[in-house]
This record gives sequence, C-alpha cells and structure tokens, in this order.
Amino acid sequence: MRIEQHPILEFKKGEKIRFYFNGKEMIGFKNDTIASALYGLGIYKLSESKKQKRPRGIFCAVGHCSSCLMTVDGIPNVRTCITPLKEGMQIETQSQEVIKDA
Amino acid sequence: MNEDNIIICRCEDVTLKDIRNLIQQGFTTIEEIKRLSRIGMGPCQGKTCGLLIAKEIAEITGISIEKIELQNIRPPYGGVTFEEIIAGDEVEK
Amino acid sequence: MHNIEKVELIIVGGGPAGLSAALAAANYGVNVILVEEREFLGGQLVKQTHRFFGSEKEYAGTRGLKISNLLVEEIKENEHIKVLTSSRVLGIYKDKIVTILTNNKMMKYFPKALILATGASEKFLAFENNDLPGVFGAGAVQTLMNLYGVSPAKKILMVGSGNIGLIVSYQLLQAGVEVACVIEAAPKIGGYSVHASKLRRMGVPILTSHTIKKAVGKDKVEGAIICQLDSSWREIIDTDQFIKCDAICLSVGLTPLTDLLRQTNIKTVYISELGGYIPIRDENMETNIKNLFVAGDVSGIEEATSAIIEGQIAGLNVAKRINKNVKYQLEIEKQIMEAKEELELLRAGPVGEKVRKGLKKIGLNNSKNYDERMSNEEYDISFLMRTGIPSNDNLKMKLPQSEEIFNKGPIAISECFQKFPCDPCVKGCPFDAISEEGNINNLPYVDFEKCTGCAICVSKCPGLAMFVVQKNYTDSTSLVTLPYEFLPKPMKDQTVLVLNREGTEICEGIVKRVIDGKIQDKTTVVTVEVPKEYFLETRNIKVK
Repeated sequence: MRIEQHPILEFKKGEKIRFYFNGKEMIGFKNDTIASALYGLGIYKLSESKKQKRPRGIFCAVGHCSSCLMTVDGIPNVRTCITPLKEGMQIETQSQEVIKDA
Repeated sequence: MNEDNIIICRCEDVTLKDIRNLIQQGFTTIEEIKRLSRIGMGPCQGKTCGLLIAKEIAEITGISIEKIELQNIRPPYGGVTFEEIIAGDEVEK
Repeated sequence: MHNIEKVELIIVGGGPAGLSAALAAANYGVNVILVEEREFLGGQLVKQTHRFFGSEKEYAGTRGLKISNLLVEEIKENEHIKVLTSSRVLGIYKDKIVTILTNNKMMKYFPKALILATGASEKFLAFENNDLPGVFGAGAVQTLMNLYGVSPAKKILMVGSGNIGLIVSYQLLQAGVEVACVIEAAPKIGGYSVHASKLRRMGVPILTSHTIKKAVGKDKVEGAIICQLDSSWREIIDTDQFIKCDAICLSVGLTPLTDLLRQTNIKTVYISELGGYIPIRDENMETNIKNLFVAGDVSGIEEATSAIIEGQIAGLNVAKRINKNVKYQLEIEKQIMEAKEELELLRAGPVGEKVRKGLKKIGLNNSKNYDERMSNEEYDISFLMRTGIPSNDNLKMKLPQSEEIFNKGPIAISECFQKFPCDPCVKGCPFDAISEEGNINNLPYVDFEKCTGCAICVSKCPGLAMFVVQKNYTDSTSLVTLPYEFLPKPMKDQTVLVLNREGTEICEGIVKRVIDGKIQDKTTVVTVEVPKEYFLETRNIKVK
C-alpha cells in the first residue's frame, strides 16, 4: 500500500515501471527498489529460507541482513531492498534448487 | 519459548536450539560454531547472528562477553565477480 | 596492467560522519574520495523527518532530511571531494591497498589516510517466529515509509522504547499506521521523555517491563504474543497477551558495522554501552593503525550530532597530517579542540551517562571538568520515565507561581522535564524569554515577564513540548496553542476533539487560529478555545 498523503513529506509518484514477478506483470515506480515495489503491492513474502523453507521478507531494508534475496534477471541472491527497480526486470522467488550443480 | 522456532542465523536457518546444543557440547568460540553450523558463512556474513551468538556463549559458559571474539572477516566485503576484478585491471589500456 | 591510484584520503560511508569528515578535510585542501554503497548520500539522515535535538550549531531544530540536503550541497560544491556513489569498498589490505567496486570495476587505491564511517546495523531479537515477513527492523520501517512512500502495515507493534522506537512510532502515526502499543523490557522508557509524551497524547500505550514471546502468522505477521517481566527481567507466568497487528517493529538497538574494519588488524573490544564490538581509538578518532580513523556510529552508537562532530575531528586530524602548511597547523588544532569540547558538552548531561561510561572503559572521556550537578536530573522524573506522563509535581515547577501572571495574556509553558542537550527554544525565542542559564544540558525556563506568547517556540521545539496558554481569554474559556503534525490539518472555526496527555478525549474545542508558514516548517501551530477548566489538560486535538 502506498502512502498518498503525509504531513511532512511529499510523495511524487514518478513514472511507472513495468516488471515481472514470477512471470506476472506488475507496476512499480521510478525510485523504487525491487523490494519497495513489491511491498507497495502488498507482496510481503519474497523468498523461502534455505533449509527449512520458512517464509522470508524484508527485515533491515538496507542490504545488511540478506533476508530479501531474490533472483533478478536470472542472477540469484540479489539484495532486492537496495537494488533499484528497472523496466522489464524479471523477479523470481528463489529456493535452493535455483543454484544447480554444474 | 520453543527454541526450535527461534531463528538465530537467518541465512543458514540455524535455530537457537542448534546453537545451544553446540555450546553445550563444548564449542565455545564463534569460529568453531561457524565451522560446524555455517552461521556467519551466509550472505550476511554474521551481521545478524554474531552478537546474539556471542551473548549465548557468554550466558551458557559464564565466559565474560568481553573475551568472546566475533568471526574473522576477510576481503572481499560483499560479492564481486571475476568480470569486475578483471575490468578494473584493464582500465588503463 | 596494475593500476594502483595514489590518493590522499578515502572516506568510507556517506552518512553524517562521512560527509562532515569530507568537508573538514577538504576545507584544508585535502583531496578526498568519498565512497558510498547506495546511490544517494546522507546515510540514515535522509529518512529522518523529525527535528533534531542538540545544539543549533549542529542543526538542532532542523529536520534530519534537511540536514542531509545541506551537507550534500556543500559536498557537491567542493572541488576537493570526489564522490563515488553505488560503490562498495571490497577490501582493506595489510599493505594499505584499498579495493573499491565502482562502475562494475574493481579499482585499487593507495590512500595516505582512511576514515571509516560505515555506521551501524540493527540488532536482532530472539523470539519465536522472529524471521516471519512483517517482522522489521526499525530502520526498515522508516526506509519504507519515508524513502519509498510505502506503508509497512495497517497496525504495528513496536518493540523497544529507545529514541528510535519512539521516533519511528511517531513517524508511523504520521504515515497513517496504527501503533498498537510500544513495549519495553526495562522498567523505564529508554528514550527521551518528550518523544514518549508525544505518543501518549496520541493515545498510544507504552508498556514497560514487557517483552515479545512470539510472532503469530503463517506467511506473514498476523499478531504477536507479549508477556510481562519481573524486576529480574524474567517472564511472569500467565501474563501472555495477544496483540493483533500485521507487523512487528524491532527497535532493540544498533551495533557498529565493523566488517571492513575487522579485515585489518585494528583492535576491537566489546562495550555494551556503545552497542557492542567497537574499534579502539584515541580522542582524535585514530585507531591503533596509523592514519586509519573512525567516526560516527561505527566507533560507538550515539547520535547524528556526535557523528557530525566526530567526522570533523577525524577529517581535521587528517588535514593536519597531510596539509604541511605551517600557516594552518594552529588553526586546525584550534578547531579540533573546539570540536572536542563541544562533544564533551553534548555528552555531559544525564542522557550522556551511558556513552561516557562506555568511553571510560577504553580510557577516554576522563575529563574531570564534569559538574556533578550537570549530570543529575533536576526533578524526580521516575513516573515520567515509566509512563511518558509528567507528575503533578513536575508540572507545578514549570507553571507560573502566581495567578497574576495568567492575567498578563498568553504565556509559554515548557513541558520539558528531562535534561538532555537541546537549545532551539532558547535560540529561537525572539524576546530572549527562555533560558538554560548558558548550559545546553539544563532545563529551559520561561521568563513570564518577557514572554509575549508569540508561540514561535511551539514550532521550534524538537520535542514538541512547548505550549502557549491564555487562561483568561474570556470568563469561561481559555486559549491553548499547541503543535500539530498530522493530517487532516485543522481549519479555523472548526470544532475539534480535545485530548489530554494520556490521549483521552476530554472536551470539544473551537479552532481559533492555524499558523503554517515557513518558520513553522510543517509543524502546524494550532490555537484552540476550550472550557477554562481544561486549559492545563489540553495537549492534543483530533480533527473529526
């Protein structure tokens, strides 16, 4: 959910950015990170943990805790909370199976 | 509290129960616990779990936390690809 | 093939410490490379919508994000500072080579000096399901709200009542998020009482001696189970309470981010008062490695104001070493002395006790210049620190001693009862009617003879703790002027609900005046007419 009005800050929604989440087309905005765009759409679960498949999402939002890792344009383990959203990005939830042995 | 349901190392899914078991087995340094459980080896490199584990060691063993060392850190900080390493060398050409 | 660029100073981290270090060094001609991992400079400042405390010299009274803008503007104009954003320092090697990933290339540098201002990371808490989506660090909530305009939740449980927990709770309310309550494991509130008071008059409960046991939910947070603690911080059986919420915010402290530092052989030591493992350094911010300095939260958890001054001290010391021009040596030394004195003053009051204690453990801050009276509270504020509400005795000390003064007209009442370094009310009063007797740590007192009730202080106070009352406006009504930072904004002649310090509705009031100009900088100053019997209780409004 996006904040429309704020007593101190002004949120100017920049131009729309189209991206894909697990194949589904979604809209984010300029200056979004991947994670902020997903959270803005109400998507909280970003991945599952390595061994126990526990649901995971943003924890620190500044790239320290690695809770928000997703596969972006085929590259795994991208810290989505600090990666700027770009047009056409393919974002996928990831699990251990993504990284296959050579 | 159910220790099995408390995550200490988010990166490697290591629970509080796992940590306490290892400490009780006699592994009382973070470096040892790291080698046996992979805490600190995941993407966050111990940023989230380090302090919590140090405190557990201190509480269970009675060793003062001032004597407990955090894990060793070596370069690079964060990931870097081979492509990026080589590209840096080729700048002057 | 091997390109190692020789440079003068590399500063790692573009937050307040790094920015001020860069400016301090560059002002004396040092060539600086400022490296920042994110695409923007400012660090945590860019998310701080509240007004800062401390001394006006270090931007007290100004909103954090504005401070960031001011510093960044100066950086951009300085030809001695090269800024590398979206760049990450990869390694600091024993031969003093520094590798930086910038522009998708790993570049190598050989700096004469290095200042590490990498800040801090959030502490994590151990409770069941602590890794569920919807469990956020406090910084994450701020980032989502203030940087990206994303609402983190509909209703949130705040764990931790330090300054960050209290400030973020207030910012959540401003963003339209309900705060179920603030819980605190200790028996008293950890942050400044004025922050707690702001929350209480919005109706947010603060539960001390409570902790979280479990986050409830399948794929994301749907609630939390909290419980009460006894005086030994142990769980009291049968006190479990379910709090319905869709997010849990952990504000349980920060710890220095020393990863890069630990690549070198600097000595670290665990000091709980400073947040955890800190690098050992001297009073010039230099570590045991010559020409390797630290500044800001990485050297010990404190505040933005101290980060700015520590950055100055580090930057000036590097300038002293690199700029051999004798003409400047004395000048630089003088500035370093002044900065150190200012830092000492900031830490002199009761809220600085923790940091002073921590620094003493590494042999610093042994100044015998402390006036014992300065470091003791002036009032008994135990009730205030447990509840966020001042006691009647506290209030009495700040009110006029004679009824006559109320007949004068509108007068300012300062509801500031806890000593911490802060002076915007003193510096901002155009009539010099507020005084701290020359010491930034003292409580402010209003000289009712000089006060004209102009209400400038109402918007200047970072704690929103100044109110103007005109008791005898009419025979049956009084006017109360208070600060208001929420939407919808009240309008003149509107009837609003009036709330007391506990956030309870006590009566209705009529809005007589709304001031929202440049000076107020988004702290709307509202004057409301209320029945006279409520003039001392009126501390908040609710726009219907």
